[in-house]
Amino acid sequence: MDTLIVSLLNGVIYGLLLFMVSAGLTLVFGMMGVLNFAHASFYMLGAYFAYALQGTLGFWGAVVVSPLLVGLIGVIVERFVLRRVHRYGHGHELLLTFGLSIIIAELVKLCFGNFPVNYRVPASLDFAAFAVGNSDYPFYRVLMGAVAIAMFVLIFLLLTRTRVGIVVRSAIYKPRMAEALGHNVPAVFMGVFGVGAALAGLAGAVAGAFYTTNPNMAIDLGVVVFVVVVVGGLGSLSGAMLASLLIGVVTSLAVGVDASLADLLGLIGARAWAERIGGLFTLKLSSLAATIPFALMLVVLLVRPGGLLGEKA
Amino acid sequence: MSTCRLSCLVIGAALCVATGLTFAAPVKIGLVETLSGPQASTGLLFRTAVRYGVDRMNAAGGWNGEPVQLLEYDNQGGPTGAADKLKTAIADGVQVIVQGASSAVGGQLTEDVRKYDMRNPGKEVLYVNVGAEAMELTGEKCQFYHFRFTGNAQVRVKALVLGMKQSNALGTRVYSINQNYSWGQDMESAIVEDASLGGYQVVDKTLHDVNKIQDFAPYVAKIAAANVDTVLTGNWSNDLLLLMKATRAAGLKDRFGTVFLDQPGNLGTAGDIALGHFVVHAFNPEAGGAEGERFVADYKAKSGHIPVFIEPQTAFGMAMVAEALKQVKPEHGALSVTALAHALETTRINTPLGEMSMRGADHQALLPMVVSTVARDAKFKADDTDMGFKPVKVFSASDAATPVQANCKMQRPD
Repeated sequence: MDTLIVSLLNGVIYGLLLFMVSAGLTLVFGMMGVLNFAHASFYMLGAYFAYALQGTLGFWGAVVVSPLLVGLIGVIVERFVLRRVHRYGHGHELLLTFGLSIIIAELVKLCFGNFPVNYRVPASLDFAAFAVGNSDYPFYRVLMGAVAIAMFVLIFLLLTRTRVGIVVRSAIYKPRMAEALGHNVPAVFMGVFGVGAALAGLAGAVAGAFYTTNPNMAIDLGVVVFVVVVVGGLGSLSGAMLASLLIGVVTSLAVGVDASLADLLGLIGARAWAERIGGLFTLKLSSLAATIPFALMLVVLLVRPGGLLGEKA
Repeated sequence: MSTCRLSCLVIGAALCVATGLTFAAPVKIGLVETLSGPQASTGLLFRTAVRYGVDRMNAAGGWNGEPVQLLEYDNQGGPTGAADKLKTAIADGVQVIVQGASSAVGGQLTEDVRKYDMRNPGKEVLYVNVGAEAMELTGEKCQFYHFRFTGNAQVRVKALVLGMKQSNALGTRVYSINQNYSWGQDMESAIVEDASLGGYQVVDKTLHDVNKIQDFAPYVAKIAAANVDTVLTGNWSNDLLLLMKATRAAGLKDRFGTVFLDQPGNLGTAGDIALGHFVVHAFNPEAGGAEGERFVADYKAKSGHIPVFIEPQTAFGMAMVAEALKQVKPEHGALSVTALAHALETTRINTPLGEMSMRGADHQALLPMVVSTVARDAKFKADDTDMGFKPVKVFSASDAATPVQANCKMQRPD
């Protein structure tokens, strides 16, 4: 029972972290219709900026300033790079962001070296929130979850309850009409891109200390974030939330399941046969935990190509 | 005009052929390593150590009066790239292939080298393996032209378990967690096999995806439920760091026995939580005495940092190749790779930790191993922290050795 509670909690909080990164990605997709390959690089930049700044600003200062810097970079990228290739179509934008992600990764390696840097949870936050069974539950994980939830609520309110939200949604839905009504749509795009980048940067600044800050963190997380966005439905914020939690919880629970197909076949008395065949039949579910999100993506694409909550098919 | 140019070309080509025959061909060593991409950090360290080794060969006069050439090829991290670059290297006249990062690449290279050598008698190439530690390379896939100059899963686990037991750090309940590919699977079976040697019980074991997991908390929940004293793991890079961090975040006091904790960046990222954990490696500067300090100082002078992680074993491996090259006399001005391979089988060198030699039966190097623990009073600090690796036990080459695998059926040239 203890293990189940811990697994669920772990899954939910990891899911919330995934959401922090994928929120920006899905918003940008909804707006520009383009998957931003460099999005996870913003996550990495957030962590590295926070690492570089924590010496002068302290941990909290770094966590606040780093996303702002990343957001600024996002704005610059949109204004001076993406906008130029926008008229050549999605293919060009896709390639451009892909190239950008490689350039950012190499720049990070140049500036901070090939190996992980020592960006860590500050001692004042490094304590147990509560104990379940014989293990503690770290306070910092709870904090990460809280930051993600606060972020979701803020964006949701911003988009649905404010004038700015109305303009953004209309610019996404019918850009030409919004422009005809006198709204500066390119500026809206720039703003959303910047905010999306800043959100990823915030996730990086918070999570980089808990996990590791290394030049591969963009690639490591980037793939899962794409899966989240596809499963949730491209462009859907609530879909991203749902998919993040789903993937987090399913992965976390799967780790604890040591069953294999042979056990399943054992129910109909074919266990010996399955064990003799070996291979796929005796592979434990727990050893496949990190692969499950991809299987989930496959199923979603087959059954519901638009994603769980996607509007555009 | 055109006839003149043509005749010039012909004469030039003839001269080239003639000089090639009369003067000795320099020995070319080809490094086929991961020099770009996500896993490049380890490949670049191998390169530093191989460069150091080749520089030392040339400082000692090269081979047959000519400097040894080092050519570098980027395998881009995978077996496919390695297979391609191996062909390029052979076309460039490389006779000795050096590689270390990734057992998957090692498996590809040794098979390709074996086939090439079979089809091109007299033009063999040699594969110097300085880091691929999967058992199959000296087991099922063992072959005459492959030489491994590092430990393997069995060697590492045996030394680790004995070293930790001696310092009363092992306990009786052990959790085995490893990456799900050849290396991790070898580690798991070695951990299970050595249970009686170490006097422990493997309570539970886990294999997980390689470098895909961001959040190790679910695995830590499993470790917590198993209620163990020690976690033994062959994990490297992020998989090791994240696992250690998640364990300590959950407040578990389990001790870690690792193979790759000395990878640069690990102690810096892990911080205090690394204290008291163990690592088994091929060299520790503190354990090497005066000879060790001389090696460390020389290495630092040439490459800018003290040798860490896989660098010492690579430097020792290259020193053995250099020693073997000294024994081989040129045949018609060129190097006979078969003669070099025979020489390597009987080569012995003295490393700062003791004698290192090559076992003829499976071409597994017999090298000293050292078990160290992370402590603040270590002489050499790592990653600009106040911590370093303090040696607890040095195993001589014969103490560290494990038997030849039964499935190694080596075809030897007559």
